[in-house]
Amino acid sequence: MDLIRVVGVELITTAGVMVLTALLMLVLSWRIRAGRQIHLRPLKPFSALEGRLGQATEDASQMHISMGRASLTSKASATSVAAIAVLDRLAKDGTANGTPPVVTVGEGTLLLVSQERLRRAHQDVTRATRLPSGQAHFIAHETMPFTYAGGVASLMQQERVASAVMVGRFGPEIAVISDAATRKGIDQVIGTDNPTAMALSSVASDNTVLGEELFAAGAYLEGKPDQLAALLTQDILRYAVAAVILGAAIFRLIAG
Amino acid sequence: MILKRYLPLSIAISFGLLTLIGLLAPLAPISSLLLNWAGLLLAVALILGVLNLFSVHLKRLFSGRDVYSGILVLSMLAVFALALLDGGSSTSAGDGVRTAFTWIIFPLEAALASLLAFFLLFAGFRLVRRQPGRWSLLFLLTAALMLASSALAFSQLLPDQVSVLLDQFQHVVNDIIVVSGMRGILIGVALGTVVLSIRVLVGLDRPYSQ
Repeated sequence: MDLIRVVGVELITTAGVMVLTALLMLVLSWRIRAGRQIHLRPLKPFSALEGRLGQATEDASQMHISMGRASLTSKASATSVAAIAVLDRLAKDGTANGTPPVVTVGEGTLLLVSQERLRRAHQDVTRATRLPSGQAHFIAHETMPFTYAGGVASLMQQERVASAVMVGRFGPEIAVISDAATRKGIDQVIGTDNPTAMALSSVASDNTVLGEELFAAGAYLEGKPDQLAALLTQDILRYAVAAVILGAAIFRLIAG
Repeated sequence: MILKRYLPLSIAISFGLLTLIGLLAPLAPISSLLLNWAGLLLAVALILGVLNLFSVHLKRLFSGRDVYSGILVLSMLAVFALALLDGGSSTSAGDGVRTAFTWIIFPLEAALASLLAFFLLFAGFRLVRRQPGRWSLLFLLTAALMLASSALAFSQLLPDQVSVLLDQFQHVVNDIIVVSGMRGILIGVALGTVVLSIRVLVGLDRPYSQ
């Protein structure tokens, strides 16, 4: 009986939070479509991404995108979904400009998705249905982070890469990749949700997307109303959580 | 066209909701069935990944005469041969694949991991040269103080009062500043994950199609 009650409470709470969040997103999306102006605070890494695209077109160099090693079936899949939004934009623009990006992944499901996204971008530009080989690389299994880092670093040394975008789930191995990029003078944009990787990449690059900013990639790069609504919802939830934490702290302080 | 657009969407939404219910309610058969399917898909994706790695490097070997690609292809074939010789057994004493992993792959991984401190050190120096400002100074000061206080506390050369002060400094940096910052970041990541998951569940974000 107790188990049923506990499960029932969990189910109702989760469903309630989900429904409320979905409704909030729906209302905000509707208001944005109706003409409400949204001002996004400038985030340097996303502005840098736009610049890198232009640079790749000018000097006919390639952009390297590392998608990390979080499976789409794992708990960290949201990070990979956010990374896919970045890949989408860079693949579309890069292919249209004649400099399609090279993608490296450290997990099997990410390979399939990135190949499909690159193929779609290629098809939109050339009408060809087959993706030229060598654009998406599987480097190593997710359980071997440093092997993955070594493979990505090696590829950066061999290819004519002008800028590197590393978005997705990385761990401490990001330092190896970042060091290789720095030694070759490659500009870097790094986005991850892992605190250790964030700390390491903040030291290595000025263009680091920190934590939740990674989930704002779609809104910044594409700016569709539903993406902007999701970003606003995320902000509102953050303020609500901050208020609850602050309230609880004040309550404990007063209550002794 | 409609089928192509809505079939993956409906499958993704139904399985997303099923997984959610399986996580919240004690429905072991559903959870285990979905996990088995996901495991199978992961295994297939891994095989495709390995084939991709093999084909890319085989092409490089023949078109670009890339020595490293040649070594990689040979290594892959050697490990595959070892696996065949093992006869699919992963527990026997003469397990060739396990030996290769124990004596080659894991030490190589560990060697790269052990270089992290140097990578970080060089990155720190580069940061100070690139941005010689107050944040770089703060970074350097904190790093130097943390390292010095750990070393001095370990050596037991300092008087007790100074050691207590250093301990307090370490406590403030580690347990208050760093932990609260990390918690803040993780809460932000969790909120981002919740919003993105709902977007996937209602079909606004479609990582499986465009």
